[in-house]
Amino acid sequence: MLSRSAISRNAPRAFQSAASHRGMASAASGLQYDVSEAAGVKLANREPAGVTGTIALVAKAGSRYQPFPGFSDALELFAFQSTLKRSALRITREVELLGGEFSSTHSRENIVLKTKFLANDLPYFVELLAEVASQTKYPGYELDELVSKLLKLRQVALANNPEAVAVDAAHSLAFHQGLGESITPSAHVPYEKNLSTEAVAEFAKSAYAKSNIALVGSGVSSSELSKWVGDFFKGLPTAGTSGQYQPKSNAASKYYGGEQRISTKAGNAVVIAFPGSGAFGASAYKPAASVLAALLGGEPSIKWTPGFSLLGQATQGFSHIRATTKNYAYSDAGLLTISLSGKAEQVASAGKSAVDVLKKAAAGEISAEDIKKASALAKFRALESAQTLETGLEATGSALINGSKPYQIGEVAQSVDSVTEAQVKDFAKSLLSGKASVASVGDLSQLPYASDLGLTV
Amino acid sequence: MSAPSLTNFIVKRPLLKRWMTPIANWYVDAAGYRKLGLRIDDLVPEESETVQTAIKRLPPKVAYDRIFRIRRAFQCSISHTLLPPAEQTKPHEDVEYLSPIIREIEKENKERADLDNLVVKRR
Repeated sequence: MLSRSAISRNAPRAFQSAASHRGMASAASGLQYDVSEAAGVKLANREPAGVTGTIALVAKAGSRYQPFPGFSDALELFAFQSTLKRSALRITREVELLGGEFSSTHSRENIVLKTKFLANDLPYFVELLAEVASQTKYPGYELDELVSKLLKLRQVALANNPEAVAVDAAHSLAFHQGLGESITPSAHVPYEKNLSTEAVAEFAKSAYAKSNIALVGSGVSSSELSKWVGDFFKGLPTAGTSGQYQPKSNAASKYYGGEQRISTKAGNAVVIAFPGSGAFGASAYKPAASVLAALLGGEPSIKWTPGFSLLGQATQGFSHIRATTKNYAYSDAGLLTISLSGKAEQVASAGKSAVDVLKKAAAGEISAEDIKKASALAKFRALESAQTLETGLEATGSALINGSKPYQIGEVAQSVDSVTEAQVKDFAKSLLSGKASVASVGDLSQLPYASDLGLTV
Repeated sequence: MSAPSLTNFIVKRPLLKRWMTPIANWYVDAAGYRKLGLRIDDLVPEESETVQTAIKRLPPKVAYDRIFRIRRAFQCSISHTLLPPAEQTKPHEDVEYLSPIIREIEKENKERADLDNLVVKRR
């Protein structure tokens, strides 16, 4: 047990150290990625080598780059299926035997194939990733019996999550094509007419070409990794083929804005979106956006309290509502979203208070202390997402492929620290003067229009 | 699905193969299914998981043609007629289209049985 005197002795020290802004260099060592290249494949690795390791293959083939709807989903679901050398069942059993795990996911920009394993098994898993990338069989029956069924289940799950539908709709309002493509095509999209195994195989050839992928490792030795990657990734094509099914070219994202209303029985959600901050290193990187996102907040980071965040305070009285503010960062754009979901009438009135607090932030009626708290939280989130594997691997791989700076933890911390109160205020003001993207999903008779909320679309 | 056969034994020995080929051709023709417009793989018994899965994996056009041949043969059988010689299956048309898929599925099943080799024994 801590005695009371121990707490009182340490508390001032905590404040002092927070105030003295310790340099990040000491904290950041061990979090930097070594960047290299082996057999033409871009490679980033984070040492020290430990007892377990993780490597991920990041391919620039997410829904933004897919030639037709559903291709990224299909390619992701085809990962770790039968290859020319062995069947899907054998891959699963072998990985089980080694105590490793593999998974595949895709986001709007990337497909990520991730493996985790005991350090000794590094060569096996590098070979497995190379095999998946270059030698997957794509037989027709796997599409019919497995992939399209999984895709249908995914569509059902999406249709029953109003918040996800609203976030997808907000993206398509904000960016139209490209980033606006929904992550998984909804059940109403005629995606089957283009989706065939030959087409997916052709898409895969370009998606997993050397120029289009990056390998990101963590906890493995850099020299070992580059040696094995050099051995196994030789067989990959250097550049994609040209044809109907190659990934879409990288058209710069442009922000449009607008309003969309979708009725569903699954629940209620309103997403209010504004142009936000791009990924670190991109030209659209605006640290003020992440501070504003933390300031608006909604979900407390500490239990049993509404938290300091403006939305958390504003929605304190509503018992059936979930409010979050998030900045979706992409390689050349970003989207700052305020999502509210829950009971229809409460979502409607919470939407109004959300816009009110944003107006308050734009008018500069926020206490300096709240902004300080928000910038500390924003800094913590940026650093944490770089440190944890789930987000850090993809962010690093994406930065490598797109040729911008790889995640430099020290610089991220500095740029968030340097955000001033006036910058946050100006940023909020610019959001309100520009166009918003408002997506309402659910019981439309009760959900508000953007003009009711006081937003221009 | 397959019964034990001497085929592999014979095919590996050129002399034996040269002797047996005319006999085999005569035998297949005498079996009479070609006169009803069928192919050898149309005769595979369908009543098993494996063959059902294989039929599902056929390309749509091939599956359609298969049903067409079977129904035509059925009509011939009911009316006790043979097809006119022009419509009968030619030897070069009589190729395996289902058996390769069946063999692949059998291989998958065998692999699954080998890998899932935990057997619960009751005492």
